[in-house]
Amino acid sequence: MTTYSLEDSSVFVVIGSGAGGGVLSRELASRGHKVVCLEAGPRLTLGDIVNDETEMFNKLTWLDPRMATGKPDPRFPVWGCKTVGGTTMHWTGACPRFEPHEMRARSTYGDMPDTTLVDWPVSPEDMAPWYDKAEIRMGVTGTHGNPHLPPGNNYKVLEAGARKCGYTDMDTHNMAINSVARDGRPHCRQLGFCTSGCALGAKWSTLYTEIPAAEETGNFELRPGCMVTGLEVGEDGRIASVTYLHEGQSVTQKARAVSIAGNVVETTRLLLNNRSERHPDGLANSSGLVGRNYMRHFTIQVMGVMPGKVHFYRQTHLAGVVRDERAHRPERGFAGGFLISTVPFTPEVLAKNMLVGGWGRDLTRVLDKYEYLAGMLLTGEDPPQRSNAITLHPEARDANGLPVPVIHYEDHPNTIAMKEYAWKAGRRIYEAMGAEEIVEMGDYIPATHNMGTARMGEDPKASVCTPYGRTHDVANLFVSDGSLFPTSGGCNPTLTIVALAMRQAEHIDGELRAGRL
Amino acid sequence: MAGADTQAGLARRQVLGRIALGAVLPALGGLATPLQAAELDTEGPGERETSAALLRQMFPHGALTPAFYDEMAGRYLEELAARPDALAEHRRGLALLDASYIAPFAQLPAVIQRALVARVDQEPFFTAYLMRGAELVYRDARVWDELGYEGSSVEYGGYLDRGFDDIDWLPGAGEMQ
Repeated sequence: MTTYSLEDSSVFVVIGSGAGGGVLSRELASRGHKVVCLEAGPRLTLGDIVNDETEMFNKLTWLDPRMATGKPDPRFPVWGCKTVGGTTMHWTGACPRFEPHEMRARSTYGDMPDTTLVDWPVSPEDMAPWYDKAEIRMGVTGTHGNPHLPPGNNYKVLEAGARKCGYTDMDTHNMAINSVARDGRPHCRQLGFCTSGCALGAKWSTLYTEIPAAEETGNFELRPGCMVTGLEVGEDGRIASVTYLHEGQSVTQKARAVSIAGNVVETTRLLLNNRSERHPDGLANSSGLVGRNYMRHFTIQVMGVMPGKVHFYRQTHLAGVVRDERAHRPERGFAGGFLISTVPFTPEVLAKNMLVGGWGRDLTRVLDKYEYLAGMLLTGEDPPQRSNAITLHPEARDANGLPVPVIHYEDHPNTIAMKEYAWKAGRRIYEAMGAEEIVEMGDYIPATHNMGTARMGEDPKASVCTPYGRTHDVANLFVSDGSLFPTSGGCNPTLTIVALAMRQAEHIDGELRAGRL
Repeated sequence: MAGADTQAGLARRQVLGRIALGAVLPALGGLATPLQAAELDTEGPGERETSAALLRQMFPHGALTPAFYDEMAGRYLEELAARPDALAEHRRGLALLDASYIAPFAQLPAVIQRALVARVDQEPFFTAYLMRGAELVYRDARVWDELGYEGSSVEYGGYLDRGFDDIDWLPGAGEMQ
């Protein structure tokens, strides 16, 4: 097991071990660079993963205090994971690419009041080969010769209804779930309720792919249980060291360069909380945009009580997709689009979601039809708004003495219009299949899709990071998570985070070899 | 009709805002109520019977027995024993239900029980019991059996060979093309 001295100033420190940090770590280590990865959470094994959402919620979720203003429920305003593997331990495995029009959001959608819509500083053409590499790395089904997963019951209902509604672009989706044994991991056995961890390891997670692969290079040390609190800037303006809490002790690791991949909330907190004379508003925040333009996809649901049994729990969580509404068709009354996917619920989660409609028979007549339920998830693009922001509470501190993050978020009118349309589109699909009753559910529970708070761009006044994710203000400080996204697209972010991290790693490798880092 | 549907959908979603967030957060309720070995006088008159009858009104399933609701009510009261303020609030709520008619709540016909519950369903004691009650009832394997949820599947090799694609009532593939 490789270990590095705290005094070793030649190590590249990666903060976070999820889709961004885990991939960047492996990429750098495999190119011969020394990497120390600091992860706040524990290192679980496959044996810790059980087929029970409630139990896994406790094991994986970041439950340190957060506050909220605006729409989010203050009891749980944002979802992230505190564990080795980060949010690759809680994800469906869905790997759609950004559409070209989404990466050119400003050019495509035009003026949208109260947004900071921009085009990505990376073109779709430049991203394409990195998407290829990411899909190959993750074994995404329906790409590069990896077969699609087989269609199951919940998807078959969605597909049949969608076809009746005139939709044509649908399949079992591009999933980072093995449809055949691959990469030393087995194929999916359709366990169901696997978003909170695949007990077989058929779904890609950095916990058991990138992290062990990085360790095998001999150039990598993972330090779990290490909560980073400080980034120290030297006289030359570069990050000289990283300070973290480990078992109650403060530890400082010297560093050649640093990347932060803390799933947006922790990335933001770390930057904003490290103020100095040189960086009075927080590290790398001369633009004032750190924490701003916080985006999250809406995830609303429609459920149908179908005329025959469905057993919607007997397959992968997100078991198929309809893509027809993803396009930009402003005649629908909004810009951008959304995906229609499947979703099941356990009786417990369904009941608690359904408490909306009331108690008593209103609730239990649907639950009594549990075997007959089909469910869909509708996920759509969220335009960036400067006012949607993560800030630090001026007084409240958590158990580590760190300021509590405050999440402020409101739906843009474009999002509200898209959601209303999406609910109707979803309802129509199940109506077409003869549903006896249809239940619409809202997005009061956030997805783990967090984006935008350190956006990349060419202009240091209008962005936090360069197109390669290096902060404009600090030459050896990078960001490697969804914070980089200038816009959110209408799809799940993980594949794009991985593709950007692989692209970033190649850039960093070049900089290190050229002696510029 | 479409308008009415939309209205109903909106209403449902608006109500959700008040209480729905616990949906994915079963753990938080648990964290907030650490069980302590507290010796408290939890025996109000008919307290358990009223709690059980109320739970059945919240989550009425014909297949579940009165003994099941009684057991879950007992567990809830045990949890409240460690939280005197919540227990007092719960007792205040039960008193509202028990004091209104000639018979204790648990002995009233279901239709009258429903009407009484509708009067208190915005009370904090009720919403707290509703959320925790949903966890107690719908995490129970006996309820899963009744509803048709098969629980953890990994020990059986998942559903790949056990019906993940066995749907038999959809139109034939030819019709769907």
